Amino acid sequence: MAAAKPDPAPDFFATSRAGVADAELRRKLENSTGRHLDHVAQMRAEFPPYDAERDAARAIKEDAIGRLDQLLIELKHQLEANGCTVFIAADAAEARDYILKVARQAGARRVVKGKSMATEEIALNPALEAAGLEVVETDLGEYIVQLRRERPSHIITPAIHLSKEDIGQLFADKLGIPYSAEPATLTAAARDRLRGIFLAADMGITGVNFAVAETGTLVLVENEGNGRLSSTLPETFIAVMGIEKVIPRLADVPHFLEILARTGTGQKLTTYTNFISGPRRKGEADGPGAMHVVMLDNGRSTMLADPVLREALYCLRCGACLNVCPVYRRIGGHAYNSVYPGPIGSIVSPNLFGSAAAQLPFASTLCGACRDICPVKIDIPRILLHLRWKEGQATPPIKWPADARRARAGVARFARMARHPRTMRLLTRAAAIFARPFAHDGYLKRMPGAFRNWTRWGRDFPAPRFRRRKHVP
Amino acid sequence: MTAFHKLIANVKTALERAPRPAEPGHAADGGAAMPVAGDLRRTELIAQFARELAAVGGVFLGALTADQARPRIVALARELGAKAAACGAGVTMDLAPLARALEQSGVAMTRADRKSVADRAAYRDRLAQADLGIVEAHAAIAATGTLAVVGAADRPNSLTLLPPANLILVHADRVMPDLAAAVAALGTATFVTNRVALITGPSRTADIEKMIVLGVHGPKQLYAIAVWPAEGAR
Repeated sequence: MAAAKPDPAPDFFATSRAGVADAELRRKLENSTGRHLDHVAQMRAEFPPYDAERDAARAIKEDAIGRLDQLLIELKHQLEANGCTVFIAADAAEARDYILKVARQAGARRVVKGKSMATEEIALNPALEAAGLEVVETDLGEYIVQLRRERPSHIITPAIHLSKEDIGQLFADKLGIPYSAEPATLTAAARDRLRGIFLAADMGITGVNFAVAETGTLVLVENEGNGRLSSTLPETFIAVMGIEKVIPRLADVPHFLEILARTGTGQKLTTYTNFISGPRRKGEADGPGAMHVVMLDNGRSTMLADPVLREALYCLRCGACLNVCPVYRRIGGHAYNSVYPGPIGSIVSPNLFGSAAAQLPFASTLCGACRDICPVKIDIPRILLHLRWKEGQATPPIKWPADARRARAGVARFARMARHPRTMRLLTRAAAIFARPFAHDGYLKRMPGAFRNWTRWGRDFPAPRFRRRKHVP
Repeated sequence: MTAFHKLIANVKTALERAPRPAEPGHAADGGAAMPVAGDLRRTELIAQFARELAAVGGVFLGALTADQARPRIVALARELGAKAAACGAGVTMDLAPLARALEQSGVAMTRADRKSVADRAAYRDRLAQADLGIVEAHAAIAATGTLAVVGAADRPNSLTLLPPANLILVHADRVMPDLAAAVAALGTATFVTNRVALITGPSRTADIEKMIVLGVHGPKQLYAIAVWPAEGAR
């Protein structure tokens, strides 16, 4: 299906306003993200070593990313020794072309996909469909958004923007089943439809959560079983991984598994954790005859070269930062116009998608909730500030809406003024004299004209006082 | 090949531009397989495993000897109304007597011997028709209610994937305290040569309004038995 993907549609300001205006969307988001946060809080309380495991996981990532070159060489070597074919894709186009080539050579017609953000990132589905392949997303949430020809609005809960009634209506329209808003009924309908598709598929494509260099093992984490089916039944299996997914040793995996599900879904462990090292071996009844691993750079080595941005490569894609983000919870994932929404999306998208996503680092209140929940303690606010600072270098420059332009001009004027102490003193004194008639009981409660907005929503402003103070030079 | 070298060169340059941090001490080791301290410790671990399995929607049928387990499994097949079942080769135990017992009670059995597995398409069709899949896990994890199933030629992965119900046996001595202990006990070589699936409860989803529904693509029902060695075998 040619999922509509006009990659990052330029105007975040317009789409975020539309998101804020949608009260129904906000209700759904509050509902789902709230439920998630309750689960996570419970998990953290029940697992005392949680914080120590976060530090352990982060230390492993720091080490792995710090010697990424060696680990990639080792991983490639091990995967090949296990019988896999490894392809290095410098960008999205190379990855798509390779996957198409494999599909053509295998004579594949029907492709089943496990949930994978990397393949969303490279816009794989439209390319496969354009080549005449039938592509079916098999994760329930992904299946739902594919039926709606939308992109996922959350990296682990793709259909978080939809209510069960929305999905009931969708299934009634597209699958021809009687309308029901019962999640169990809807899930069963999807299972029935997809089981036949699984059994007939000749190619499976999934993402990768961790790639163990030591053994050449891909770790795939999921709940539904669709990842297992996609990597087990079809004759050809392709795993697509960002190069940052590599970790040194098998013994590192438990440290990540202990925190990933606890933070991402509020489970101790996901239902299925699959360790896949190679294709079907002689005498085996199932597993793919051929296994390909696509290692995707697509801007990651650029992030690596930036000492601040590098930290973003530690991300496990658990999705928790989306759920805690006050901005995401009010505008929803689609408003970001990027495959990766939310706080993590705001730091990785500008690098992956260029100037079209340059606005996203500004889509944050810098409240720090994302940093607090992150299982590998990525300092997202710091990276956001770093990217804001770099924004001046973006070409073409961001098109700010009128009110944001006025605010920025005001702040710039203030900054100029603040650099000259004498002017600053003079002006503050003048402002105090001007404000005096409006003060009541030591507060400014109502101001005229352009200053009205300061005090408009019950925001009382302390009235300036006249106390001569000796300035220390 | 050149693409790979180019990537490595890129990564190297990037690393040099932003210098790598000083060699960090590697994070704590996974820890070796914990020696089982005795019956008491073993019972504790099995009890914890049972609790955690129940919490994720699985059913623990008890810690039984092989002789007790067989009739229990035959009864389970009857409760489920299973007409066809599939069974893989055991790890520490011989599952042939169990398969015979099920056959005698009228359940059509699909075994995973070389002959039946040879025609892969036919074998898959039989698995897709089976009502119950039976395997022995290499290990269980008490802290999470997880079963570690190692795929092999005579224990195909689809056994724990295609049938709507699963029964997984595990030897009572192989219930490990946590994930790190289980991974260490399986050993790196197993992961290189075999597919390993950590199974924690029945297949599930929370994709519709974060509400949990069991039984999406994998089994909807998961039963487990810890098999206690018979008195004489201790």
